[in-house]
Amino acid sequence: MKVGFTVNGEAVSMEVEPRTTLADALREGLGLTGTHLGCEQGVCGACTILLDGRPIRACLMFAVQASGCSVTTVEGMAAEDGTLHPLQRAFCDQHGLQCGFCTPGMLMSALHLLHRETSPTRRRIREELSGNICRCTGYASIVDAVQAAAEEMAAGMDDAAPTEVTGGTT
Amino acid sequence: MTISTLPGDTPEEGGAVGTTVRRKEDGRLVTGHGRYVSDLRLPGMRQVAFLRSPYGHARLRRIDASAARTADGVDGVFTGDSAEIAAVGLRALSALPSYIETEQPVLARAKVRFAGEAVAAVVAGDRYQAEDAIELIDVDYEPLPATVCAWAEPEVPVHDEAPDNVLLQRTFEAGDVPETMAGAYLVLERELVTNRHAGNPMECRAGVALWDYADNRLTFWSGTQVPHLARNMLAELVGLPEGNVRVIAPDVGGGFGTKAVLYPEDVALCLMARAMRGVPLKWVEDRSEHLLAATHARDHRYLMRAGFAEDGRLLALEADVTCNVGAYSVYPWTAGIEPLMAGGLLTGPYRLGHYRCTVRGVATNTSPSGPYRGVARPASVFAMETVLDEAAHELGMDAVDIRRRNLITVGDVPYRMPTRLIDESGRYGECLDKVLDSIGYDGFRAEQARRREAGENPIGVGFACYNELTGLGRAAAAGPRMAFRTGHDACTVRINPDGRVTVLSGVTSQGQGLETTIAQVVADAVGVAYDDVDVRIGDTTESLWGFGAFSSRQAVIGGGAAHRAGEAVRGRVLALAAALFEVEEAKLKLEAGRVHIIGVRDELATLAELARVAYLESNRLPDGFEPGLEATRFYDPIRGAFAAGVQAAIVEVDRATGEMAILRWACVEDTGRVINPQIVHGQVAGAIVQGIGGALYEHLVYDEAGNLTTGTLMDYLMPTSAEIPELDIGHIEVPADNPLGVRGVGEGGTLGPNAVLAGAVADALGVRISRLPITPAVVWEAVQ
Repeated sequence: MKVGFTVNGEAVSMEVEPRTTLADALREGLGLTGTHLGCEQGVCGACTILLDGRPIRACLMFAVQASGCSVTTVEGMAAEDGTLHPLQRAFCDQHGLQCGFCTPGMLMSALHLLHRETSPTRRRIREELSGNICRCTGYASIVDAVQAAAEEMAAGMDDAAPTEVTGGTT
Repeated sequence: MTISTLPGDTPEEGGAVGTTVRRKEDGRLVTGHGRYVSDLRLPGMRQVAFLRSPYGHARLRRIDASAARTADGVDGVFTGDSAEIAAVGLRALSALPSYIETEQPVLARAKVRFAGEAVAAVVAGDRYQAEDAIELIDVDYEPLPATVCAWAEPEVPVHDEAPDNVLLQRTFEAGDVPETMAGAYLVLERELVTNRHAGNPMECRAGVALWDYADNRLTFWSGTQVPHLARNMLAELVGLPEGNVRVIAPDVGGGFGTKAVLYPEDVALCLMARAMRGVPLKWVEDRSEHLLAATHARDHRYLMRAGFAEDGRLLALEADVTCNVGAYSVYPWTAGIEPLMAGGLLTGPYRLGHYRCTVRGVATNTSPSGPYRGVARPASVFAMETVLDEAAHELGMDAVDIRRRNLITVGDVPYRMPTRLIDESGRYGECLDKVLDSIGYDGFRAEQARRREAGENPIGVGFACYNELTGLGRAAAAGPRMAFRTGHDACTVRINPDGRVTVLSGVTSQGQGLETTIAQVVADAVGVAYDDVDVRIGDTTESLWGFGAFSSRQAVIGGGAAHRAGEAVRGRVLALAAALFEVEEAKLKLEAGRVHIIGVRDELATLAELARVAYLESNRLPDGFEPGLEATRFYDPIRGAFAAGVQAAIVEVDRATGEMAILRWACVEDTGRVINPQIVHGQVAGAIVQGIGGALYEHLVYDEAGNLTTGTLMDYLMPTSAEIPELDIGHIEVPADNPLGVRGVGEGGTLGPNAVLAGAVADALGVRISRLPITPAVVWEAVQ
């Protein structure tokens, strides 16, 4: 069946089976392989994307359920000229990733947090990211990265508009 | 996008080694443009799914795949009896006298030996179709009694060749244990059991195999940690010249040892690709399969008998170690990987003259055990440290004092351990001092006593001292006398005609950032900026040789090879400049991509100008100077580099619920010279957290029939950001005896947490912790 939604600001339309997961539609259908599958059981969080601004597990949702929605994936985080989002930059600076497999989901969860809270404490960050498993870093450097990005984004808001994230983020 | 160095860390000013440069990998990984095997798409590619045994042990009477063969989208169905598959079996080889060689089939034949073993494979247009077809395969199993515990008598052996299931047994012996034990002031006997868990990288296993239609060539994209070894093994197994096999490990989403194994599924993919020439076959494992059938580890029992003097000196140790090696002798490492490491390093960083330890690897109807970060030592350190804690308790000594009394000191090194390994680190005391300072041990005992008096939740402290054996050269190579010896790696450094540097290194990376650290090493060895060095790894057609990622070896060995190759190329550049400008070579220096006369600020030539001559202007080449600027070098450290390490933690236990809170955690390791501080810190932190996961949460549990009862991530719990405390990680830098002075840091962190947390709970509550993991239920029961 045909399904249409917006991905990172662009309208897409594709033919899927009713059982095709949103993750498979993004990865196989649209070639957006930044969304990773770590468990296909909705636990590890690697496939986290934003659907109408809210984080969801793309492995637990059918593509047809996204009909008419706005999807943001990791590929939509950087600006069109390639300038990294403050969170992406902070993950690099703080060594918030090693193998990078959980990173897209971590970035999505962190983005959702920073959309709602401008200066979360370390404890808050740890709570909010507890749905994303990282096997490499031991987490502290990820918390460092989210904190650093929050500070940068908060400072940026004082004198300029924050980096715009494409897609229907709230 | 440009990836440059961080502000303040400009390599030109003082070299790239020792600085936190920005990782070369990160640009693609944070933008969703990584290149993992699961992302690979090739024209005409087909998807593979495996049918896996639902029984832990059963005879295979009949497989009927006729319905699957005609299902929608199906291109092929293979079983263990398919001619292409049946021709090959995996036999992990060892020359150890007691070793019983057994065979692991590519797809099960005659019987299945663990739940999750691959029985059949379907090739179809997409994964959905492949999984649909799997369900149409009808298998007639005759269940057999399963054995899941390695220290229980088997009713039906796993392999006919080993009626008692023992695949390997060896005794380590030094000094005179019976006599020394007889004269000991205190003799302790303890039984300690550790929990089966696994590396469980976030990216499961994956592979794409393509057998060229016309040319007899195989390309295998795989998340392997050991591409060159995989090429060597695959060539032999499928009967191709090694030059016709190419293994490519692109970005890999974590390995931790789990991906250092050549799996039957890997070989099945390649054999099916041979049967379906010209069609790329892709298999991406899901987590259920991974928990069932990727290697497990750490399912051990230690029977410890230790003799101490009145002053706390460890006099003699007698141990009997049983490791559950699972259903097959893991290829190519063998069933010896865990038992031999356990026996070889059980005594850790402690002086000991009298040692007798029998280790055995016992087959069971469970997933095969394989290498997992720290191999056996998270368990053996737990056994050793528990014995020390209890001896201290019996002798009325402080836990720190008994360790100080027994630790190898700087004055002792090089120290010959009872198993003849040479510890040349010796800085345990220094690490311990720093750790005690970090956790605030001075005030701890008073606070502990105060809480006891006040009836508040108790706190306890636990310790682990360990020696991580890293970068093993040929003389100390781990492994049970396998058909290969893992001492060396190769590296090629090439200066391109434009003066930029391309490195073809034999190392592999599953997150450790080797593209970055090898570039740092080469930048300094050649004399160019970090940003002017590109590193290519993981493709067997590009690099000459590397054994891969295991035994914390790559910084030492791959780094050593990169350093040597870089220096050789710099020599070529200077020789060329000397001849062109008629200056004595010894007076020249290559720095930041420019050749100078030493002491003269202005350059003679840039590297780009010289490289152009070397490749494009042969008319200017000096007589006899071979065109091009490239060198390939091997490095083998011969011996290994021991890394001293100490961890300690303070925990608080809730008596009512058995829950534990980690209040402080400190770790100090001798990292040798640090190539990249941020990466070293990340390796240690990640390793500790995996260790904490193994100590508290992670447990692969089989029921008596051989069913894995923890088959999803909802049952197999890995730590998240919410459970993990802030860690205080420090290090000392004692240069090791290798070209860069480095020591491996990848695994040491995993060695401490079992011992630290068991010791801390025991200290808080005055109880014994003899089994892992330390769940709230275990603690609560201990309190009652």
